This record gives sequence, C-alpha cells and structure tokens, in this order.
Amino acid sequence: MAKITVDGTTIEVPDNSMLLPVLLDRGLQVPHYCYHPKLSIDGSCRMCLVKVEGLPKLTISCNTPVREGMVVDTQGPEVTKARQGVLELLLVNHPLDCPICDQAGECYLQDYAFEYGKRAARTQEPRRKLLKRVDVGPRVVLDQERCILCRRCVRFCKEITETRELGVFNLGDQSVVDIFPGEPLDNDYSINTADICPVGALLSKDFHHKMRVWFLDETESVCPGCSNGCNVKVGAARGSVYRLLPRRNDEVNDTWMCDQGRLGYRFVNEHRVRTPRVRRGTTPPENASWDEALQQTTTQLSELSRRDGAGALAAVVSPHLTNEELFSLGQLLAGGLRIQQRDVAVISGKSDDFLIKADKAANARGASDLGLAATAGAADLAAIRAAIEAGTIRGLFVTGTDLWEVWGEAAARILGRLEFLVVVASNEHPLLDLAHVVLPGLTFAEKNGTFTNHAGRVQRIHRALDPGTQPSDGEIFLQIGRRLGMEITPGLFDPRQIFGAITRRVPRYAALGWDDLGRQGQPTADA
Amino acid sequence: MAAKVVTVQRPARPRAMDTLGPLAILRGLFVTSSHFFRNLFGFIRGKPTIFTVQYPEELQQLAPAFRGMPVLVQMANGKERCVACGLCEWACPVDCITIYPAETEDEIERYPAVFDIDMSRCMFCGLCEEACPEEAIVMSQRVAIATTDWRGSVWHKSDLLMPATELQTRLTHIRRGYERTGAAATPVARGKA
Repeated sequence: MAKITVDGTTIEVPDNSMLLPVLLDRGLQVPHYCYHPKLSIDGSCRMCLVKVEGLPKLTISCNTPVREGMVVDTQGPEVTKARQGVLELLLVNHPLDCPICDQAGECYLQDYAFEYGKRAARTQEPRRKLLKRVDVGPRVVLDQERCILCRRCVRFCKEITETRELGVFNLGDQSVVDIFPGEPLDNDYSINTADICPVGALLSKDFHHKMRVWFLDETESVCPGCSNGCNVKVGAARGSVYRLLPRRNDEVNDTWMCDQGRLGYRFVNEHRVRTPRVRRGTTPPENASWDEALQQTTTQLSELSRRDGAGALAAVVSPHLTNEELFSLGQLLAGGLRIQQRDVAVISGKSDDFLIKADKAANARGASDLGLAATAGAADLAAIRAAIEAGTIRGLFVTGTDLWEVWGEAAARILGRLEFLVVVASNEHPLLDLAHVVLPGLTFAEKNGTFTNHAGRVQRIHRALDPGTQPSDGEIFLQIGRRLGMEITPGLFDPRQIFGAITRRVPRYAALGWDDLGRQGQPTADA
Repeated sequence: MAAKVVTVQRPARPRAMDTLGPLAILRGLFVTSSHFFRNLFGFIRGKPTIFTVQYPEELQQLAPAFRGMPVLVQMANGKERCVACGLCEWACPVDCITIYPAETEDEIERYPAVFDIDMSRCMFCGLCEEACPEEAIVMSQRVAIATTDWRGSVWHKSDLLMPATELQTRLTHIRRGYERTGAAATPVARGKA
C-alpha cells in the first residue's frame, strides 16, 4: 500500500495501480473518455489531467502510476483551465447533433461540456464534414462526425473480441474510425462498442431513434438469454422494454454482454398471452376465465391420476422460471399433483469461450439444483417422450414452450397423442394450439426473484414492468396447489419468503440470504 | 387581551336616493340608455365608440407574446421542423405531449412518427417552446380547441402543422427572447452601468 495525498486528503492506495482508477474508486469526479476499466490504457483523450507536485507539467492520471508520498490536485484552477482547453479542442469539430443523437442524456461530452464548456464556440470556420450513418455492421451504425477518437471501440475489438474490425484511418484532423473494406463489424459482441462509446458515434441499430434515454426506467436484472447470467439493466418506458444494457459484474460478465442476449428482449413486448384459454371440443383453445382454466387443470389432472395412476402424468419444467417459482412448482408436483416423471427442457445452442453458453435459458442450473431435472435412473425427457408415444403418459403439465424446440419436428405429433395438456406460457407459440388449458405466464422483466447461473451464482432479478393484475407463474402454482387441497400459507406468492424456504430445504443454498444477494449475487456453497 | 371596540359612524337617516325607489330606477335607466344611444349612433355612423369584437367574424389583433395553443412549424417542403428530440415532452409540466421518434432517409435523420398533444391537458405555459432547440414547436395565436368529442382533444401531428410563414411574428418574438436571457452567442449588455 502507498500513501498519497489527493486534494488535501491522505489516502491509502494499492501499489502498482494507476492514479485514475484509484481516484474513481474514491468517488472523485475526474472527467475521462478513453479510460475504461476493462481495456488497456490509451491516453488519447487528455481529459483526465491532474496536477502532481514535482512534475513539470500537468499529467494524465490514467497513465500515471501511484507513488508513495504523491501529492495530487484534481480540482484546482490550473487543472480546470487545462480541462476546459482540452474540451474546447474536442468540441471544435463536434456537430451540434444532440437533438437527433441517441446518446443525448447519457453522453460524457454533454456532461463535461456542461461542467467545463463555454456557451459558444470561438471558431468561425465551418465544422469538418465527415460521413454520417455509416453502416459498419449489421447491428451497429457509425457517425464519424461525432467521434472524438478515444479508440475505446478499436481497443475493444482488438483486446476483448480479438477480431480487429475497427481501426483509426488517416492522419491528423482527417483521422476517422472506420472498418476495413468488406469486413463489417459483425462479431457476437459488436453492440458493446456502442455502449463504451462515450459519445454518440457508435450506436445500436436496434435502439436507434426509438426512445430518449431520459424516459427509460432502468431496473437491475439478469439477461435471460443463456445460462451465463450476464448482469443487465432493463430500460423500460411506457410499458415496454426498449433495451438491455450490460451492468458491471467482474465475477460474471465484466462490463460486456453478447448481441444475441441484448436483442433477445423483444418477447417481453410482443405476442404475449394475457388471458387463459380452455379447449372446448375442437382445437384451438378459446379464451376463458382464470377460474375456469384453473378448475379444468385441477379436475382433469386429478381425474387422469385417479383413473390411470400417477404414472399417467408427467411434467416438463421451464428453465426460464425463477428459483422461487421452481421451488413452488416442485412442491406442487410432489404434493398436489403427485407427478414423479419430470424433467427440464433446455434448448441447446451456440456457445463460445467468453460469455455465450450453450444452455439457452437463464435458470437451467437452478432447476437442477432444486431437484426438478431428472436425476440418474429417473424418467428424463427422452423417457417421457417414449412413454407418451407408447400411450402410458396421458397428461402433461408443461411450463414454458422450449419443449417444442427440444423435440423438434416430432413435437406436434407426440403432444397430439396426449389426453390432457396444460401449458403455462408467456408468449404465443404453436404449442398452445395443442393445449387443453393455457395459463398465461410472466416474463423475467415482470418478476422479482433469483436466477442461478451456470457456475452456481444466485443473482436477483427485479420487476421492470408492471404486469397489472396478471398473476406470476409462481402465483399460478400456488393457486393450483390450493385447489388441490395442499396446505399453503395464505397470501400472495412472495419470492422473499420462498427463498427463505429454499435456503432451509436445499443444503447448497443454506448459506444464502435474500438481502445478502445484493447487486452482484452470491455463489452457492459448491460453486 | 381585551377586544378592541370600534365605533362605526352611520348616517343618521337614509338618503332620499335610497328610500325613493322609482328615482333610483330612473337614474339607472338614464345611465344605461345614454350608453345605448351613444353606441347605436356610433354603430350607424360606422365608428363604434365601444370595444366589441364581432367574434368569430372579426378576430382580435393579439400581441406577439400571446400564448395560444402550441403548434408544429412546417418547413417550405411541407415537412415538420421537429426532430423528435423529446425535450418538450420532458419539459411539459402536465405531460400532454407524446412523441414516438423514427428514422428517415433525409439529411436530418430523425422525425416524429407520432406527435400528439392532448389539448385538454395543455395549460399553455409555453415551456415546450422554450425547451425546443429547433424552433419547431411554438405557441401560436390559435385558441379554438373546443370539441364535441373527448377524443378530439388529442391533436395529432397533421392537425398541429402550421406553415412557418404564418408563424413569423412569434418566431421573431422568441428569437428576441434568446438575447434577453443571454443565450445568444454574444452577450448582450443589460441596462445602464
């Protein structure tokens, strides 16, 4: 540890670290553009200038190592004047695009111009004209005029994805960020360049001109796209989700997330199932009341169970449910429905050695931790499929629609053999046409709860959208349980209370507490 | 604390004007009819002596500072000047503006696909005009927002567009306002000394 003095206060800082991260960790507002905690040091923006006693000139704090006894001034008039000068140079050719720029509202250039800028430009010459709306990749658009050449995006493509699509071309005031001819910015993490762009030069096409950022309510959550559990912020406004942004968690995703996960929020807004459906006679099922749908579910399932024995029933569990919902579902299957044959349907997809995992569901690990996946020797998904084809399984309780993709083309034929099919689903899906009862579920953006990622890290998700009076999946399980005469504590589905029950029943979760999960989550015992 | 007693001086007897009702009526009638005849002769001579505007055939000349309903400035090419930046939506204290932005192929790449103002909520405060960086929404001199149907109180983009030529007075007026608030490029000296 080294002792340094910053603005008159002596602080202890780790040796061998640079000055800027130390200052930022202490909550000091040191303006910077090119510095990023997960990228190499570039020192190109010159915005983080500070005064260090003993050095002849002001120095950039991002590339100055701390030294015992160092005396640093981050606020003085000399420093402020230098920053004003740097900012004026950065703004010399910056277009006045703020009204049409998506970055407006979360733009470092706006923030620092507000703090250090002058109200009017001193230059009389016309501003530099460069290319606008450059189609650099399928998911990213570039505006060269707005770029301040901090090279964060270039370093990202070089150091993180190692694909090197972006580069700085030309010299002097003709310098521009661009791609090589015929080599678009098309890697799986390309939209991160738009996140780290401190100005509005690189923008996500998906969010382009969709919503002003100051109207978005940002809720901390976890990406539902795969089992990596990248920490995200859900940006919602006017009852819709507009974007997902990665949130820093050094244990999981640093500050990145993949494009597929980021763009995989649309199901929250589109093609939702909002009312229960019940099949009356022929296909497909028609809208019905909650009471009728729940009554049908309980009577038909108990009827089948009484007639053909418990072996005639099976359940397919969705790995998109929260741990609390899975726990309630486990109790419902074991208690009220007495279903022994159950397994989790997980879609398998592309994976890489960075963030993208093969299991395309947020909580596959949680489902197996809570004992909902088939253990060795028990009937797994393949056995359930065979039993349906053989006609021994007559009734199926399905949560989620992933089963359809897992079983592929044969799914419709197999499920058509069932006497009674209950589906709890949040979105329209061909599977619903085969169901006898459809119960609408909620998506990750409308729930409170926890997900367990592939490495066994339990992380909180928060409600970003208000589902109104629509019950959550967990509430549905409780209501079915009550109708079947299970002893369930009165009241609504309460994730906090059920998480408490999980920590008491599941040894692996014993050390966890709902309030201790915090913003970054906690690992389970063996993770 | 003891209450202070105030003695009021009242007239000992009522005046003749108050007691003799018919006299008071005649006096009132004289005032009314003198106005009536003066106005009638003025009207016949074509030089009205009183301030009555024959609305809606006649419209009053309003000052440039008058704030009527907010409208969108239409450029010479027929398109709106608005780029859907959302600042008026943010500034609006009664949340009566709703904008959904979209992209175009024009040079100014952004435009409002939806621009609605709920005139039943609008309170004509003019903060939208003040917030607008493009001089695209201005307070016009239109005031007729009455409607027979509540849905009619929501004005859409097509209803709100008004050619810039018709709004020249107001645009000149708000440009003078920039100088007053010191937002102009060159600071303006205020007052003496």
